[in-house]
Amino acid sequence: MKQAFAGLVTDLSAEYADIRHEENRKVRIVYQGKTLEQITASSTSGGNLRAYAGGGRSIASFSDPKSAESIARTAVVSARLVGQSRDKPLRVAPAPVIVDSFPVSPSEDPRQISLEEKLALTAHYNDLILAQPDVTTTFTSYDEFYSRRLFVNSDGSVIEYELLNVGIAGLIVTKRGSLVQRVRFAFGGNEDFSRLRDRDADVLTSVGKARELLDAEPTKAGTFPVILDPSESSLFIHEAFGHLSEADGLQNNPAFRERLQLGTKLAGPILTVTDDPTLPGHPGSYLIDDEGVRGVRTYLITEGVLTGRLHSRETAAEFDEPLSGNMRAVDIQFMPIVRMSNISIEPGESTFEEMVASIDNGYYLVGAKGGQTSGDQFTFGAQWGYRIVDGKLGPMVRDINMSGELFSTLKAISMVGNDRKFGERGGCGKGGGGPMQINRKSGSGAPHIKIDRVTVGGVG
Amino acid sequence: MNSIIDRAKQSVDQAELYWNRTDRIHVRYANYSMETITQDSHSSVALRVIADGRLGTTYGITPDQKGLIEDARAAASHGAPATFSFAPRADYSDVAMYDRAAEELTSENLVELCEAAKTRIQKARPDIALFIEAKRETIRRVVQTTNGADAESISTAVRFGFGAPMKGAGVRVVKSTSSTSPLTLDEAMVDEFLEWYGWTETLSTPSTGRLPVLLAPEAAFLFHLPLCAGLNADAVHRGTSPLCDRIGEPILSDRVTVIDRPLLDGDVDSRPFDDEGVPCQNRTLVENGILKGYLVDQRTGAALGQPSTGNARKKQLFGEGTEIDPNPWPMNLETKPGDASHRDLLAGLDEGLLITGGMGFHSGNYPQGQFAVQAVGFHVRNGKVVGRLDKTMVSGDIYKDFKNIRALSREHRGPGDSMMAIGRMPYILVDSLQVAGK
Repeated sequence: MKQAFAGLVTDLSAEYADIRHEENRKVRIVYQGKTLEQITASSTSGGNLRAYAGGGRSIASFSDPKSAESIARTAVVSARLVGQSRDKPLRVAPAPVIVDSFPVSPSEDPRQISLEEKLALTAHYNDLILAQPDVTTTFTSYDEFYSRRLFVNSDGSVIEYELLNVGIAGLIVTKRGSLVQRVRFAFGGNEDFSRLRDRDADVLTSVGKARELLDAEPTKAGTFPVILDPSESSLFIHEAFGHLSEADGLQNNPAFRERLQLGTKLAGPILTVTDDPTLPGHPGSYLIDDEGVRGVRTYLITEGVLTGRLHSRETAAEFDEPLSGNMRAVDIQFMPIVRMSNISIEPGESTFEEMVASIDNGYYLVGAKGGQTSGDQFTFGAQWGYRIVDGKLGPMVRDINMSGELFSTLKAISMVGNDRKFGERGGCGKGGGGPMQINRKSGSGAPHIKIDRVTVGGVG
Repeated sequence: MNSIIDRAKQSVDQAELYWNRTDRIHVRYANYSMETITQDSHSSVALRVIADGRLGTTYGITPDQKGLIEDARAAASHGAPATFSFAPRADYSDVAMYDRAAEELTSENLVELCEAAKTRIQKARPDIALFIEAKRETIRRVVQTTNGADAESISTAVRFGFGAPMKGAGVRVVKSTSSTSPLTLDEAMVDEFLEWYGWTETLSTPSTGRLPVLLAPEAAFLFHLPLCAGLNADAVHRGTSPLCDRIGEPILSDRVTVIDRPLLDGDVDSRPFDDEGVPCQNRTLVENGILKGYLVDQRTGAALGQPSTGNARKKQLFGEGTEIDPNPWPMNLETKPGDASHRDLLAGLDEGLLITGGMGFHSGNYPQGQFAVQAVGFHVRNGKVVGRLDKTMVSGDIYKDFKNIRALSREHRGPGDSMMAIGRMPYILVDSLQVAGK
């Protein structure tokens, strides 16, 4: 298959072509409450092809490798059709030719662990949660994804690489009267199975928060100074800023390209933000992306100034900026799109205590609970929080959603903590012009940060 | 194809094959310029088995793939005791959901449709970064069980939409539509897009407090998703749904009737059978505010002691696919229209919001009926739009706030091809929702 695909992409009379073929193996175990809802081991395979011809681009995917050749030739015709209508041709930036393999080497390999043991471990955490008071139900899952990929392109690259990711995640649901509260937990997030063992204390801490929330006050709506914990800060930088550093989103948005030129001052000098797939052991760690480009550390914001962007070969050519190795696809059903790897806010100098002491009336928001961005507008939730009154932490609050506008919020970051933490599990949904791709291999980290003004929406 | 079910019969108690083949052409324009043509041809299967009384599942590419039955059996050997059976033999209704003319649409045909929109909108608004998308899909679905269910369908879907980021914000104004047959450019859709886009150029932030809200059909998810989470028989069985034991009781305003219409001809969400091979049926879920029934699949039906309503779907909040276990969802949801004109409803507002979308929905407590989102839409004063909403959150609880519905419009439509699209809805005027603004 390697030779056949390599021959095909060079023989296509396209300016550039590549094929990514995957053989994937997934294991998934799901408990909902006491019930084992799902236990699955499955194998899938298929390919994805891209052709740049006549100044246009076309993409095709296939399940059957035998159909690759006819699909590839149709793709070249389609790419030329696209090119005919364009004033400005699409092209890819030059990239080094790589002929190499990049296998994974976990210290405890989940592929060598029996399904029985994976099931027993998942059941153990699920049972532990269900045994606690006030818990009404759970959703506890084990997910393992192994992908063996072959990438060939018309430049001559032939790359074999592997991805492996394993994790346990859950939702704890507590109920008292008609009040229901939910807290999520997750651990694992890289290729090492041993990270899933001996996590009872972490699970019980999350249960404790889900129980405490039953006595918490609803959040009051309004605009407040807030402190975000590392998990919430990570979500903020990922959702609010990170997506705008993905160049494919900016490519056809003239207004934002104008606002986000390199060198633009976005925040105070206390803020530095990087994206780094080469950090080992995080959810977004990898050596090579899905277009055969090595991942590198990119300084996105350096001391408040926009200094870098995340690219594909196409967007790097369009913006005339360096390659970053951020073009990734979740699996064969999808074309690669530009995605963050491990984005993080670099540590600052403030302590958490100094931040709390600086606020008369505000909130401390804890625990990422999903977010969404559109352009410069962001919204995200927190799992729980605390009121801050007169420089002291007050009572716990629940049902927290906060929103704002990126540029003014970045400028409102007034303190950056010295206590950066990376999240163990990642996750990000992005469509990028195609169907939504939920990518578990997306990591983030941050210290505590203080933002002077954020709109908090409550139900009260 | 029958062979996997025949082979499975020899080694397991029961088996269910789900097979989906989708062929798709997708043309995409960005900033008035054609960007890419994508062609996908995918086959995927799910095989569920019950072996020695236990349930196991596996996925693959085609039914003849080696090792499918073995993988499913291995999963079943550790699986939970099966609490339900796979669907029995049944007769399925005829639903018009295939049009050969749609299947034969070429990328050139889709380009023509996109060019028509481009020409029309570029004339009016050359200054915006318009994107256009046109897709045609042919979907073949097969569900077979060892209990005799043998369902097969072919359907077509043509989807078309366009939009542009609001200047200075990036939040997009989007209009989209779909049909099982080829589409032509809908002038009314273009006009409404241009009107909404025109409204975005001024910013306005309402004061914090309770205000009347006119929900547009594009924001149907704010109402339909919390409602369906409550109607889900799984949540009912577990006791986490706010609608437990409330059949026959008023849960919403008596102006509101919600139905599921999978047998509606010519709609891309229609289908004769669900993802477990159970016949679909048109059903009233809420009638004049009174709860009439839940959404039930085979598993939850067995738990509740009632038959499946044909609502098993391989779908979850963010996506639909073969590798998602069937669970209760509506097929083709609709809130019935009223008799008001949506323009009259808008004109009648002293101060209020026209909501066309919301961000951050999924991080809220929607299974309990609540939502708290960053509002996307427009601020209305003295019956006129004064600008797009800025720095505004809107929150509510459908089981409290949707008890007070002032009116529903006679115009209703689907929400298009957006991430959280769910069901057709009229414009709904809610008496008041909590707004966080200035």
